[in-house]
Amino acid sequence: MNSVADEAGDEEITPTEIAEAIRDCLELVEVDAVPNVRRYLGEALDAVSDGMPADFVAMTLYAALGALREGTTH
Amino acid sequence: MQSSHRVLQLRGGARLVAEPMPERHSTSVVLMFAGGSRLEEGGLGGVSHFIEHLFFKGTQRRPSSKEIADAIEGVGGFINASTDKELTAYWARVPSEHMDLAFDVLFDIVANSRLDEADVEKERMVILDELRGYQDQPQDLVQNLFEELIWPGHPLGRDIAGTEESVSRLTRDDILEYVYAHYRLPNLVVGAAGSLDVERTAGVVTRGLALRSDLDGELSSSTPDPLSAPRVLLRRRETEQAHICLGARALSYLDPDRYALDLLTTVLGEGMSSRLFLNIRERLGLAYDVHSFTQKHRDTGYLGIYIGVEPKKAVGAVNAALMELRALGETEVADDELARAKEFTKGRLRLELETTNGVAFWLTYQQLLLGQINTIDEELTLVDGVSAADIKRVAIQLLREPLQMSVVGPFARDGAFRIAIGA
Repeated sequence: MNSVADEAGDEEITPTEIAEAIRDCLELVEVDAVPNVRRYLGEALDAVSDGMPADFVAMTLYAALGALREGTTH
Repeated sequence: MQSSHRVLQLRGGARLVAEPMPERHSTSVVLMFAGGSRLEEGGLGGVSHFIEHLFFKGTQRRPSSKEIADAIEGVGGFINASTDKELTAYWARVPSEHMDLAFDVLFDIVANSRLDEADVEKERMVILDELRGYQDQPQDLVQNLFEELIWPGHPLGRDIAGTEESVSRLTRDDILEYVYAHYRLPNLVVGAAGSLDVERTAGVVTRGLALRSDLDGELSSSTPDPLSAPRVLLRRRETEQAHICLGARALSYLDPDRYALDLLTTVLGEGMSSRLFLNIRERLGLAYDVHSFTQKHRDTGYLGIYIGVEPKKAVGAVNAALMELRALGETEVADDELARAKEFTKGRLRLELETTNGVAFWLTYQQLLLGQINTIDEELTLVDGVSAADIKRVAIQLLREPLQMSVVGPFARDGAFRIAIGA
């Protein structure tokens, strides 16, 4: 997820690849262990599907990462 | 800097504020009525603004708008009016020897307008066009949406001109009733500044006062409820640029900390040496237009940041602007930056008071809304008295309020914007 978030603003990576990576994340068990992670990933996937700007997608992915980090440190 | 204004109580509860500026060739006069759009409860949204338009359509003595305009423009003067949220003002600026004429025309339009049914219908179409026009102007639209978020469900959060629905429904009877109730002497402050004699001006004004002198109830409106949560309001438009307003509730114009808030806004986003301009536009190249602004009312206010930005850079610009805002609550402004902000604020005020119009409005506004007048020297002293700690304290107070953000642009979703402000 970290690398996808970092590369979401990179024009080399395609929206399809980002979407696939997010879908892979959504299948992980850890996603449901921490509040809001699934919600933010869902937002990110919808944003990719709707053709939202790359930094918009990156922001939602960073939010998912932030929630994950916060959840796992508590 | 000397100020020689005088405040005179006139009959019926009206007041006159006059400032002789003997070296000037012009005199500006203003009739300022307490009221404005925040008093418009229920279906009356836009009635104050509607009335302001109708007052220029014709009186018994000057039956058309052309005759009203000709009276003032025929001597090279200017006449206009504006409706605000807490006041409505009618003003004229004329060569000083025509001051009596200026008062005559202004008192004529506020006391003797015909308010014909046909004019009501014609003006309704003009205002509806004006309201539809705002929808095509994203910078206006985004600010209107922002005010809806800041004061949800309250008349302060509604466009001064009303809504298409309310303006369509207003009847001539609504308008007559509103004029009768609000255009009364106790609600009026008359201002005059220029080459004038105060005693003579008082005589001219007193002869013109033909309005009712009793009050029909208190002029009061509810205080907006506190905001409980951050919110984003997105209006999708296929614009080339994204237009964003973000900010929070802030201080009223009666709050002693208002000078600190003004300096905070100056440091943050007023002018080309402000933090938002230098960091977001010059250093990061994220936005062409970025600035901050405040609006203050009797019991509430806000600080807002406007960003006009390429859609793909919108989220980055929002985050950068929020960092600048939050930084003001974390670190005190440096001495040299504070000194610059004070000079900027004081200089702008002094420039505003260069004209007779500026002085007339400034004095009248203070008398009507604050109930007292600070001289320019007193204002400058209050600005000088603000410390870096005051600004930080006001920033901390402001940042405790839930952030609000309106967005107009080609976005299908608002997720990243909501995340940015914790909504």
